[in-house]
Amino acid sequence: MLLALKPLQELLYRLITAPGGVSEGLAEERARSRGDLDALIRGDARLSAVDHLDIYANMYFYRLLDILKEDYPATLAVVGPDNFHNLATGYLLVNRPHHPSLLYAGAHLPDFLQTHPLRAAFAFLPDLARLERAETDVFVAPDAAALDETAMRAVAPERWAAFPLRTHPAVQTLDLKWQVGGVVRAVQDGAQWHAPGHAAVTVLVWRMHGRTYLRDLDAFERAALRAARDGAPFANICEHAAQALPSIDAPARIASMLARWLADGLIVAA
Amino acid sequence: MQMNRADFPFLGFGVGLRRPHYAHIIDARPRIDWFEVISENFMVPGGRPLQVLEAVRANYPIVLHGVSLSIGSTDPLNRGYLRELRDLARRFEPAWISDHLCWTGVGGRNLHDLLPLPYTGETVRHVAARIREVQDFLGRRILIENVSSYLQFTDSNLTEWQFLAAVADEADCAILLDVNNIFVSAFNHGFDAHTYIDSVPVGRVAQFHLAGHSDHGTHLLDTHDHPIRGEVWALYERAVRRFGNVAALIEWDDNIPEFDVLAAAADRARAIHSSVERGANSHAARS
Repeated sequence: MLLALKPLQELLYRLITAPGGVSEGLAEERARSRGDLDALIRGDARLSAVDHLDIYANMYFYRLLDILKEDYPATLAVVGPDNFHNLATGYLLVNRPHHPSLLYAGAHLPDFLQTHPLRAAFAFLPDLARLERAETDVFVAPDAAALDETAMRAVAPERWAAFPLRTHPAVQTLDLKWQVGGVVRAVQDGAQWHAPGHAAVTVLVWRMHGRTYLRDLDAFERAALRAARDGAPFANICEHAAQALPSIDAPARIASMLARWLADGLIVAA
Repeated sequence: MQMNRADFPFLGFGVGLRRPHYAHIIDARPRIDWFEVISENFMVPGGRPLQVLEAVRANYPIVLHGVSLSIGSTDPLNRGYLRELRDLARRFEPAWISDHLCWTGVGGRNLHDLLPLPYTGETVRHVAARIREVQDFLGRRILIENVSSYLQFTDSNLTEWQFLAAVADEADCAILLDVNNIFVSAFNHGFDAHTYIDSVPVGRVAQFHLAGHSDHGTHLLDTHDHPIRGEVWALYERAVRRFGNVAALIEWDDNIPEFDVLAAAADRARAIHSSVERGANSHAARS
């Protein structure tokens, strides 16, 4: 063989993922005396060796671009298709897919946006992408039997204080600097999105009956859910919540909050 | 143990399970023989995909069809991937598991595409050894599928069908024969699709794929976004004549139409199969 299988696959990988296309990648390989594509791939009357490999290079990029568009529809709506195309190009240069599943191909986009020039025009982009990614992660998070009202009623009142609770694996709370939930919802509803307010907000993302939902949390509920994240007795959860918002009528709020958690399937027995 | 085609039951005529049809399949339980499931779409920790698969599996036979086994790669086999695949198979009990005769990545990175291999004896030995390892790990014989390809290596000294047959024989695995992929690659590389069909060993083929492709002038692309072309149906008829009772599956992955369109394609495959069978029976009765 002109090239053993491993160096052949490595060369094709470099050429297919070359940012400027196969020709540009090949020029770089030639400069390092490594690339002679005509000796490896058959050209024909219709297509040269480079043309043949370019088919794969185009499919590589556009397949991943489609996946990123699917995973980040609100980010796409905000920056527009041309900016998103360039964003994906840059992202894939430094975040080559490793995982066998395409589900994880876009996992690092929120981090990538932290230092991206698009932030100059859309400062809220990293938060927006983070929220969209959280929806994806929550959608496929592990299953667990959520507690419901019947299950909680079965717990004897004297055991409530020590009863350990934990948030369901398909629950995330995100501390964001921008109120981007409205942008996500508008795009999902096919409505016009509006620039989000610049104010700290905690967003709850959860899954119920196979669908993901999101809503903003106040300091009381945020503290309670954070306490429940790693598992805690109910009394501790209540204590954390009351400390976070001392002015509130804690017992009444805890009752309504717990009822909502149970209805939304947010907690499991720890 | 040498492969016996009876190990792979004749499932009839199925379609690929795709997201736009989930609700229809679960709620209306349409008349279709079986579903093929993209393994990686369900190798997830939890949530709706697995709920859907449970609901579908309760009413239909399924098979698992992977796109990321990367059986031709020079990277070590991904044990984590194989464990997840094995777990999925244990949970949903598919009739069989298949993947592609290709490589999808190298150096720990994934191209998420089905890249061809040089058709040489050395590659046959490399791939066959890996298929045997996978079969041992999964505890079952797998099917490997011929891919559409858009390039040929100068090093290849076997035809694609010789390569496919040699790998299947040396690995003692089954073949998922994609009729559309044969048509696409025949156009792209100028070989005779009939010769291909006529050269694949009869005893190894356990499933057919049928799909549409797109014409880009200089080449055809296996896009699964168009109706199946007449020439591909004709090739399928030839394949049924040669291979007999083999389950067939309609693939449609982009511009996905209503479920009824896919079901109609599955019915057309059934009609061709029945017609060939009737012809064979009447021929046998006359002779």
